Amino acid sequence: MRWVLAALAALAVGSLVATACSSSNDSSTTGPIKGQRITVLIPYKVPQSILDRFTAQTGVKLSFQVTAFDALHQKLVVAASAQTNIADVTEMDWSWVGQFGGSGWYTPLEKSLPAPVVADLGKTNKIFTARSHLYAACYSNDIRFPIYNGDQFTKAGISSFPTTFTGLEQTLDTLKAKHVAQYPMTVALGATEGGVTPWYLLTLSMGGQLFDKDNKPVFGAPGSVAHQALQFEIQALKQGWLNPGAITLDDAAAADRFTGGAASISLASGPGSLVTANDKTQSHIAPNAKAALMPGVNSAGPTLGLPEGLGIPSTSKHQAAALAFIKWWESTPTQRLLYKQAGFLPCSGAALSSLSASGELQGGAVVAEAVKHLTPLFPNGAPPWYPAFSAKAQGLINSAVKGDISVDAALAQLEDATKKIASR
Amino acid sequence: MVAPAVILTASLVGYPLVRGIMMSLRGGGGATGLPTHYVGLRNYRDLISDPDTKSAALHTAFYLVIAVTLEIIGGLIVAVTLQRAFRGRGLVLAILILPWALPSVVSGVLWRRILDPDSGLLNRALLSLHIINTPHVWLASDGWAIFFISLVHVWGLVPLVSLVLLAGLQSIPDNLYGASAVDGAGALQQFRYITLPLLRPALVVALTVGTLAAVSIFDEVYVLNGTALNTRSLLMQVYNTSFNQADFSHGIALAMMVAILSATLAIIFGVMLRRATR
Repeated sequence: MRWVLAALAALAVGSLVATACSSSNDSSTTGPIKGQRITVLIPYKVPQSILDRFTAQTGVKLSFQVTAFDALHQKLVVAASAQTNIADVTEMDWSWVGQFGGSGWYTPLEKSLPAPVVADLGKTNKIFTARSHLYAACYSNDIRFPIYNGDQFTKAGISSFPTTFTGLEQTLDTLKAKHVAQYPMTVALGATEGGVTPWYLLTLSMGGQLFDKDNKPVFGAPGSVAHQALQFEIQALKQGWLNPGAITLDDAAAADRFTGGAASISLASGPGSLVTANDKTQSHIAPNAKAALMPGVNSAGPTLGLPEGLGIPSTSKHQAAALAFIKWWESTPTQRLLYKQAGFLPCSGAALSSLSASGELQGGAVVAEAVKHLTPLFPNGAPPWYPAFSAKAQGLINSAVKGDISVDAALAQLEDATKKIASR
Repeated sequence: MVAPAVILTASLVGYPLVRGIMMSLRGGGGATGLPTHYVGLRNYRDLISDPDTKSAALHTAFYLVIAVTLEIIGGLIVAVTLQRAFRGRGLVLAILILPWALPSVVSGVLWRRILDPDSGLLNRALLSLHIINTPHVWLASDGWAIFFISLVHVWGLVPLVSLVLLAGLQSIPDNLYGASAVDGAGALQQFRYITLPLLRPALVVALTVGTLAAVSIFDEVYVLNGTALNTRSLLMQVYNTSFNQADFSHGIALAMMVAILSATLAIIFGVMLRRATR
């Protein structure tokens, strides 16, 4: 009898503790946020001095975690599938929106973010919207454009960046012939997400498309622009425009060749890399990096936008504090600092105008022009099956540039696989 | 008395195994964003006809054959060399253990530096000796890439195989060699008729360790060549399917197939070991 009473007492105490814990969680979501600690997980470093401002303003403590891009997607997928929480605010790449939003893994933001903030983010909201809900606030307006070493161009007697692919080929030959760089261009071609982006970009800038308006693949037919784009990568390796090891490089390692001075052109680069390349603490070639528009067939060609946003996992126990972080991050003063010290080109119209007006926007004219050339990879928005498509593309594109399979075979296999993936 | 062991095994092995089997029979979830649903053996059928899975299985077979062959031959040479006492034997043994002591990721990173096409030691040495004219990308072509990844794997495992075989050699009584010498047997005959038969139990253990390690090769492949198709192993394919493609149903089904393969091989070697020690 005594045992039964003891067990009942233990059960009652346990229930009280559980209730107390659960109410404390509830209050953390709705009550005052001061003193709470949130975890932010993105793939890029941010100076601590900027992050300290958030804690000073809100009283919310911050655990800022950085994980490599590909690994981050895997961690988020695993955590979300297991319905466990690993962070309160996370990266939301443009390519994950269909998958993450469609699965209900993230909290819709359209009602909780202040209307002026949503309005200021403008067109980028569409990219982060799935099933009529906004799942992330854009923070990095990552536009792909080439950057080049102005000093090395001058040494080779080249006055400007070419605007056509024919011109680009001549420029690369000149840089090589003048021994300015043994391998004058750098592009990631390894079997990673960064290794397929150049193929997407080249296809668009050569005037082609990978998907039609219904997101159906259109790259499989021999002679398509996507074929020409892949052939250009192979030609670049054969001509010695690219280093032989490019086929094993991810985008960070490829960018290092540019900042180290080993390559004169980083073709599939962007605003963040431009800032890094002109930062003396991170680059040997500072301040000689310059921005250019993607070459095209007859003049500057279309380019690719790879915007990144911040989202709140629905498993976060600190929704209010997480939202406060996003509001602070999207504020114009923070966006200005993030651009100047971390290289994130703001999505916020107000921050962009402010940087442009003060003359602090590096390559400002090029960036403004590049925005006009933006072309979506998926005309109908990123589908939920993008990660599966990308994983397949990484292997096949890498095999083609290595010469293990022909371009025709690689793209035909990729088109078949894409149709299967999309129909699952 | 056996209850704690049974409970522990059931909770640590049995539960995940049963749950894994159940998940491998379901579709949806992960990248699809759809609720999971029962699909029977469809995931397994998909995998059997999937070209990436087939090539990963073929690569794993290559890793297995190359690695186990080199490990047994290398291990045997090292063990026979170290069997006799000589000055500095202790030091050699200590050095021998080093590659085994290194985590396989660290070995992979070290070898990546050696095999780097632009600044690696191997290309630099071959270029300075005029054996090659231009830098070679060792991890690009199928043959070289699989060979070098196997070599890195062997480098880490040869010490363990050598120690297993050395222990086996030291258990063979010296008087057998003495008696055979009296009968006129040479070194080769002694090795053929005394060493090899009596070393069989140790060889089976080394073979088991080498085979199971080769079937589950992952770290070296990932560090040296990422998820590239030309070197992808079965476990890499499990990883790629589950985490890169976020297709957990097919990923778990493939993991189950690898587990069945490993278990079958372990049972075969277990029977061989039993026969060898009879």
